[in-house]
Amino acid sequence: MNKSKSNIAIKAVCYIFLFVGLLVILYPLFLTVITAFKTPTQSAENFFSLPTGFYLGNFKGVFERGNAASSFANSIKVTVTSVLLIIIIIPMCGYAIARNMEQSKYYSIIYYTLLIGIFVPFQVIMVPLVMYLGRMNLCSITGLIIMHVTLASSQGVYLMVNYVKSVPRDLEEAAYIDGCTTFTGYLKVVLPLIKPMLATILVLNVLWIWNDFQMPLLLLNQSPEMFTLPLFQYNFTGQYSNDYNLAFASFLLSMVPVLVVYACAQKHIISGLTQGAVKS
Amino acid sequence: MKRTKGFSGSHGGNKERKRTMFLFTLPMMVLYIVFFLVTMFIGLFYSFTDWNGISKSYNMVGIKNYLAVLSDSRFRKALLFNIKYTVAIVIGVTLVALICALALNSVKRFSTFFRSVYFVPAVLSMITVGLIWNELFLRAIPQFGASIGNKSLSSSILANPKLAVVGILIVNLWQGRAQPMVLFLAGLQSIPKDLQEAATMDGAGRWARFCHITMPYLLPTINIVVITQTKAGLTIFDYIKVMTNGGPAQATEAVGLLIYRHAVAEGKFSRSIAESMVLFVIVAIVAALSLKASGKSQVGE
Repeated sequence: MNKSKSNIAIKAVCYIFLFVGLLVILYPLFLTVITAFKTPTQSAENFFSLPTGFYLGNFKGVFERGNAASSFANSIKVTVTSVLLIIIIIPMCGYAIARNMEQSKYYSIIYYTLLIGIFVPFQVIMVPLVMYLGRMNLCSITGLIIMHVTLASSQGVYLMVNYVKSVPRDLEEAAYIDGCTTFTGYLKVVLPLIKPMLATILVLNVLWIWNDFQMPLLLLNQSPEMFTLPLFQYNFTGQYSNDYNLAFASFLLSMVPVLVVYACAQKHIISGLTQGAVKS
Repeated sequence: MKRTKGFSGSHGGNKERKRTMFLFTLPMMVLYIVFFLVTMFIGLFYSFTDWNGISKSYNMVGIKNYLAVLSDSRFRKALLFNIKYTVAIVIGVTLVALICALALNSVKRFSTFFRSVYFVPAVLSMITVGLIWNELFLRAIPQFGASIGNKSLSSSILANPKLAVVGILIVNLWQGRAQPMVLFLAGLQSIPKDLQEAATMDGAGRWARFCHITMPYLLPTINIVVITQTKAGLTIFDYIKVMTNGGPAQATEAVGLLIYRHAVAEGKFSRSIAESMVLFVIVAIVAALSLKASGKSQVGE
């Protein structure tokens, strides 16, 4: 009797805590939404009041004044291309390493060389990178894509190698005996088996690349036509700091795509991020 | 690539396999060597020069840059900032994430809904989150302060040298606790139910069960969270760049930002690389611990 009473009390405390937490999480996002739909005068009167109507002038303003549309297109271009390359190149490399590192020195050497990347903070290559890519004329979208793929390698290969090791060899061996080449065996037998890890790597990198700020800031900050969304927001907010309703409209515009993807693929995103954090 | 048919004998198949496997590693390795390793070695080389990033000539100066970095009070101040910040964020994130996970784990109704909302900050960009809070600190909180007649809330805490770091910590905590929280949830769900029930039957109280059953199961996860947060704290850049840009009066100048400024704005190219190498050594030690810990936790599973 006493036990169940204290159980109820604890449950009640949990619900109250969770509800307060919910407000803390959602209120800033809610303020973002309402501010984006308010006119500057409305916001100046009261920051917390609800918008009186669906005022779309801020969104129009973002598209008219900044290069929002091209930044959006650039972000999509960079994310899609980088991630496509990542999920083609990394599993191939991880598979080859996992299956050969015990027999061949070459594979264990490249494995440990790739692992170095986990230990190196981005700041270490940040400074020479700008100069080095600049000399190759790669301070551009192409350069950004190359760097995202390169910097995804350490964690990706590490995750992939460990995953492939847990997949039994029998099926591939059978495929080879049936006359498959290594490449078709990989395509038809191995890839379907490593799908869960592919999903993890996909999620981790989509979120990282879509939200990345440091690398675009270094490589593209001189050329507004190449801005990605985070860089656009950063510069836009700095430029129109007085007209902050515009800024909030730009925040909302950049959050909506991620939130839509999150709503659709929540399970994969959570499990992807969980596995990535545990093993990196 | 020439196809070698399976029936052409195991020798031919082996050769084909070896070649394909090598080709599989090639694209990644070329990128990694050309764009990562070479960049790092170029950096290492210039850290022993006095190059300013622009001029045509430079001299080799040995370890002078490193000595200058270690005796530079600005660098030491930045490093101290990072260490303090890291301690605060590690403790804050671990505690808040753990409490959220425990609360989520002990409710049944609406639990899916709570979980999805509680995870949302993890998918947003640090830049968007930082910029939103910037505006909230600047506009919403002063208005709120005025309405309750509190004058100390009248200006953004980010403009106050003593409080700016608190503002950054709040934002980092708001967003950064989301991912560790799902790690803790996964850890909590790995605890066998019958173990809890048996302990309850034996008369173990809530606190005793928490200490003797829950905590041992969560330790590997706590380990991982502490280490990843340490790494994140030591290399923090995004929030600071957009929220305070190191100010006011260099009060929030973290090492990552100092390196960026020295290189991009102040023409101390080789010096900034030496700074990054010092940071590298510190982070490498932490990352080595991280690999060890994640190895252990996998064994634990």
